[in-house]
Amino acid sequence: MLHIKCPYCGMRSQNEFAYGGDANVKRPELNKEVTDKEWDTFVYFRKSPRGKHLELWHHISGCRQWFKVQRDTLTHEIYKTAEIKEDI
Amino acid sequence: MHQEFRLNTIGLINRDKKISFKFNGKKYFGYEGDTLASALIANGVHLVARSFKYHRPRGFFGVGVDEPYAIVQLYRDGETDPNCRATEQELFEGLEAKSVNCWPSVNFDIGAINNFLNKFFPAGFYYKTFMWPKSFWYRIYEPFIRKAAGFGVASVAHDKERYEHKYEYCDLLITGSGPSGLASAYAAAKNGAKIILAEEKPRFGGSLLTSEANIGNESGKEWTQKIITELKEMPNVIVKNRAQVFGYYDHNMLVMSERINDHLAKSKKYSPKQRLWYIRAKEVVISSGSIERPIVFGNNDTPGVVLASAAKEYLKIYGVLVGKKPLIFTNNDSAYETAVEFKKNGISPVVLDTRNNPDSEIISEAKSMGIDIKFSHVVIAAKGYKKVKYAEISKISEDKKSLGKIENISCDCICVSGFWTPTIHLASQSGNKTKFNENIDAFVPGKSKQQETTLGSANGIFSLEETLKTSFEAGYEKSKKITKKDNKISIPQVSEKKHSKHDKFWCVPLPKEKKYKRFLDFQNDVAVSDVELALREGYRSIEHVKRYTTLGMATDQGKTSNLNGLQLVSNIEDKIVPAVGHTTFRPPYTPVTIGTIVGREIGKHSKPTRKSPIHSWHEKNNAVFVDAGVWLRPRYYKRGEENLFEASKREAENVRKNVGVCDVTTLGKIDIKGPDAAEFLNRVYTNAWLKLPIGKARYGVMLREDGIVMDDGTTTRISENHYHMTTTTAQAANVLSHLEYYLQIVWPELNVNVVSTTEQWAGAAIAGPKSRSLLQKLFPGTDVSNEGLPFMGYIEGNLFGVHARIFRISFSGELAYEVNVESDNGNFMWEKIIEIGTEFSIQPYGTEALSTLRIEMGHVAGSELDGRTIPYDNGLQGLVSKKKDFIGKRSLNRKAFIEENRQKVVGVVPLDKKTSIPEGSHLVRDSKAKLPNPKLGHISASCWSVEYNNPFSLAILKDGKNMIGQKLFAMCPLKNKTIAVEIVSSHYVDPKGERVRS
Amino acid sequence: MQKYSVFSLIKNAFKGHKDWQVAWKDPTPKDEYDVIIIGGGGHGLATAYYLAKEHNITNVAIVEKGWIGGGNVGRNTTILRSNYMHDENGLFYEKGMDLWRSMSQDLNFNVMYSPRGIINLAHSDAQMNAYSRRGNSMRLNGIDAVLLGREEVKKLVPVLDFSQNVRFPIFGALMQPSGGTARHDAVAWGYARQADSMGVDIIQNCEVNGFDVVNGKIKGIKTSKGNIKTKKVGLCVAGSTSILAEMLNMTLPIETHLLQACVSEPIKPILDQVVTFGAGHFYCSQSDKGEMVMGGDLDGYNSYAQRGNFPTLQHVLTEGIAMFPFLSKLKMLRTWGGIMDMSMDGSPIIDKTHIEGLYLNCGWCYGGFKATPASGWVFAHTIAQDRVHELNAGFNLNRFSTGHLIDEKGLGTKTWIS
Repeated sequence: MLHIKCPYCGMRSQNEFAYGGDANVKRPELNKEVTDKEWDTFVYFRKSPRGKHLELWHHISGCRQWFKVQRDTLTHEIYKTAEIKEDI
Repeated sequence: MHQEFRLNTIGLINRDKKISFKFNGKKYFGYEGDTLASALIANGVHLVARSFKYHRPRGFFGVGVDEPYAIVQLYRDGETDPNCRATEQELFEGLEAKSVNCWPSVNFDIGAINNFLNKFFPAGFYYKTFMWPKSFWYRIYEPFIRKAAGFGVASVAHDKERYEHKYEYCDLLITGSGPSGLASAYAAAKNGAKIILAEEKPRFGGSLLTSEANIGNESGKEWTQKIITELKEMPNVIVKNRAQVFGYYDHNMLVMSERINDHLAKSKKYSPKQRLWYIRAKEVVISSGSIERPIVFGNNDTPGVVLASAAKEYLKIYGVLVGKKPLIFTNNDSAYETAVEFKKNGISPVVLDTRNNPDSEIISEAKSMGIDIKFSHVVIAAKGYKKVKYAEISKISEDKKSLGKIENISCDCICVSGFWTPTIHLASQSGNKTKFNENIDAFVPGKSKQQETTLGSANGIFSLEETLKTSFEAGYEKSKKITKKDNKISIPQVSEKKHSKHDKFWCVPLPKEKKYKRFLDFQNDVAVSDVELALREGYRSIEHVKRYTTLGMATDQGKTSNLNGLQLVSNIEDKIVPAVGHTTFRPPYTPVTIGTIVGREIGKHSKPTRKSPIHSWHEKNNAVFVDAGVWLRPRYYKRGEENLFEASKREAENVRKNVGVCDVTTLGKIDIKGPDAAEFLNRVYTNAWLKLPIGKARYGVMLREDGIVMDDGTTTRISENHYHMTTTTAQAANVLSHLEYYLQIVWPELNVNVVSTTEQWAGAAIAGPKSRSLLQKLFPGTDVSNEGLPFMGYIEGNLFGVHARIFRISFSGELAYEVNVESDNGNFMWEKIIEIGTEFSIQPYGTEALSTLRIEMGHVAGSELDGRTIPYDNGLQGLVSKKKDFIGKRSLNRKAFIEENRQKVVGVVPLDKKTSIPEGSHLVRDSKAKLPNPKLGHISASCWSVEYNNPFSLAILKDGKNMIGQKLFAMCPLKNKTIAVEIVSSHYVDPKGERVRS
Repeated sequence: MQKYSVFSLIKNAFKGHKDWQVAWKDPTPKDEYDVIIIGGGGHGLATAYYLAKEHNITNVAIVEKGWIGGGNVGRNTTILRSNYMHDENGLFYEKGMDLWRSMSQDLNFNVMYSPRGIINLAHSDAQMNAYSRRGNSMRLNGIDAVLLGREEVKKLVPVLDFSQNVRFPIFGALMQPSGGTARHDAVAWGYARQADSMGVDIIQNCEVNGFDVVNGKIKGIKTSKGNIKTKKVGLCVAGSTSILAEMLNMTLPIETHLLQACVSEPIKPILDQVVTFGAGHFYCSQSDKGEMVMGGDLDGYNSYAQRGNFPTLQHVLTEGIAMFPFLSKLKMLRTWGGIMDMSMDGSPIIDKTHIEGLYLNCGWCYGGFKATPASGWVFAHTIAQDRVHELNAGFNLNRFSTGHLIDEKGLGTKTWIS
């Protein structure tokens, strides 16, 4: 069971959280023209790296905040967690 | 009462307490502190099992978790447990056990014919045959093989035992209470660390219990006792015996199973049989010791062939002799301790040592005691079928390739030692890359991967002095890092006998003309010849060898066989062992009861049950419930002998005619507040939200970014910056996460807060032509007229002193209202509605009637919004704004979504107006077309229209827009039904929606 | 090639099994091949076999980073079925079922094809309706399916929990009688042995480090055993597709996730079919050895670690006991994990790519094992003819732009929710 540091609540066990996928996915701005390819990339296409992965987690049974986690997809080592507004 | 193989002098058992037990129907006695294995051996029972494939006789090989043979069916307290290891099962009064995998008995087993035919059953033989005739594998061969395979028998009855879970955090978890475990635990505990010390066996001490070494001026046993007593009294220490740490998971979380009542005839009241511990440790000390491995020789599976360390443990802990004429076969010094122990107890062993005249203190001691030692000698084969009777032995040359003259030596057991294999499972599970240690011919942990340290023999250190020194230091250093304290205790003096170097020799060559089976894996009957065959056939990777031969895949998980298998592959392939590499160590270290892993989440509690505050009223009024996710909702209220169809029809008709009330508490409710709430809703929903006035509700549809409908519901503007959103029951949690995602990540600039209020409000939908009259009586002081509370209007009212929210919204298509009160008042509200509604002929209605009402009105719900449909498909295109952007809008112009013949929801009526169309039927043009028959759409929902008194269904149909009026067939081959149907509008009743506005 | 039969087994027994030949050779790679298949798993081996058998293309190499059959073909729960709702899936997997039926004989290797029936339990009328939709679709596609009521399920699988003490009572089930199991390792080995005998080079312990692409055309691959020339490369590396795609500067609608499975200790026969739980994600069958083979949910976050986490395992076993109370007293013997290509609509991708000569076979989610023969068969066709077969026409990459998605579960792009 992963041990994840919620930036708001501190270290908590994995079962308090929900996973939210690749944090590098950026939604195109509203009302902005985007090509089909850009849109499809946003909706469907993922890098899925082996190694460092910046991802979203949601403290669903806690403070209900979404935040960023930098985790190794091969070893599950968590390097860093941060609030959404922070850069990793 | 006489136990032929029991000594009266030594052991840690309680001879004052006799225990009776039964094995294969026969009654025996043992003592408190015995295991089933030690008690059986004491009674001279050496044949306990049959092997998996050849059904060869099997006795006892080890003394604990590594035991490959003695798997029995256990009977305890009216229940039965399959596959119990006799070497681990402690004896209790009335224990009963039986041999498995044999018929009619373990003594005379028909299956043993396999042994005589074994030349036809080499590794992987089943891949090469049983292929003809084609259907015979499934019909004939496989059932036969299945019956022959397997060990114990599972009881079909519910397990009446209780299993529990516990979560614990600690500074240091120490896995094993041998010298390294005790020393590190003691040092860490004394330095203030919060520790857990786990011992898999009933007794603490590990190898100290059978060691002759002294610590200070105490024996290992006494020292153990002293340390454990002191540890138990410390407040920062948890000490557990019968507790197996079986899994090392990510971020230093380990799992442990504690056997609390297994050793008792019956579990104590309110006490779990076993407990699963989740332990999050800052540091882990792996002090799991090592397991002796055998030397491989002919017929080395014969009952009576045991590990030398096991023989010693049976003697010193249980006072039991594994034989009275022991032959000890070793390549190292540790087996001499067994020889000396036999001799001390009046039994004269013969020692065969593969080494040429080694010299050490223990060997000198053995010599001085007059023990017969033959150096450069090996056992070629054990002889005897159900028990060792004698052994063929011979000299072996210095290069270990040629054997001398074969001699027979009489013996009743062969105690074998091929040196020690560190138990590195937990270290490997932690992600630690193991390394091969040439000095001990075995793998040891490499660099720590998580916060783990492996100590003592688990790390390949076999000297007690060095073990204690490194372990005291490790305990101190690890704890210091955490507690920042500096309380170091002195390391006691150790007096132990130094050992000489072991011999790498591990497998006795076969003399010419001898075809003895030499087993590597004892439970799965994998012999040297099987591995040779696998390699000859090109199965060369160690994983291929394992899978082709099943080496190491038995219930002992290869604890005594894997390393010898690797040695063999390494020899044949001419590679060094580390180049062959070992197969992956995965949890569990030893098999764990599934009930323990699951704990209390069984039966009704396997998932939570959610009930509305009105639940008990529903129960009292004969509601038949249906699962809606984890909620229970009334499906219908049974009157007399009514069935589902009759009851739901009555309820629906009453809504259309009079008034009905439905518990809608389960709907998801989300409170949305903030100055940007309208803008937020405008982005979330497909329709426009910026101009919704206060006191008005609006229906909305939200999409996923891929354009698929995610959910629908109404949202009401309660005040300037306050909205109340409803979601479907099923999507409530997802919608909340979805909103939070957009607010926190995508549009953090929006000043909006959302919170779930599903549990805060109880809801009742009041529907039917008389609903307004009822409402007037419920809220006499409130104007609920069509003008005062128009369609999609919202007001607040006073329900006999209880604050209520009144929404004029409708799911049934009738004039309808939804009243919400705080949950605590839910039942009060409901009873008032029923009480006052009586004069309007009110009836409660359940989800089935609700479905009928919505279907004939053509309202889409979960069966249409199935995660594959877009707004257009559901006839909701009018709600899709062309002017503004919203979540998922960009996806709606995909090619598939704008195709001319895109699917669309339609109504379906059987031509005969009688035959109900099963949900899940498909619409086809030609019911007799050859398969695959092209499907045009499917029936998503069916009902009996109470308005027209005939069946009516909704379907999602290709080109639905242009299909109205067409005649098709609804086919349900599963129920053998083909029904001629006509496609009609999905809005079957009140297509203009006049009723809701009336 | 030696023929395997009961007679050859007896004959060899008297020679001490000394004359058995290798099942496949261990060649050094040639300079050039007509086709290179990357990935020596089930799909890669099957593709090579059908290239040789159906298309007469035998100058083929299979390049495998580790040992053949070491990925998901050796890590699955061995279930065979074609019980899909969407036509693209149903017809494709049914082609696979046809190939399974005669696989042991075709390959002269007993893959222990066991059509014992697969039963999907339903725990509500709504679920029965959803299964009806699926089952009727199967029947109209010519695939066997029957709808069972509670009593019929009870007769077939009496060890399920039919007591009152259940959270989600069994209403009925959808059954595909021809569904079943096969011995997973044997499938890999059987394909390997036949492919090898027809001239395919199986190159193990050979890692691909890069591709040689010139002007949008494949020219060769770079491996740990040197560069190898070829005009056609087929990618069959489910679980690692994204890693190889990155070498080609491609991003795919795929994420890699971990799925665990476990077995109990072996017991005497108690369950004859494959049964899946309808109120969760648990499935179970009993192996010929007697072990209960169990699987369920994904671990739930991107993972390339072939090791799983405990909460998922516990969750899976919880659903196991909810279904089969007898599991409670059994012991869990082994657990393991496999990494999956989770595609964004849950269906596979078997297609050509924008690079000429590069063919893609990926996105199998957790359904790859049963697809092995059909996947190899259509992929061989796609590579040999340089055009997709009608059976894999729907599994194109373009569907993520056009919207012609094949979403059996209707869950959309959250691949970690199973």
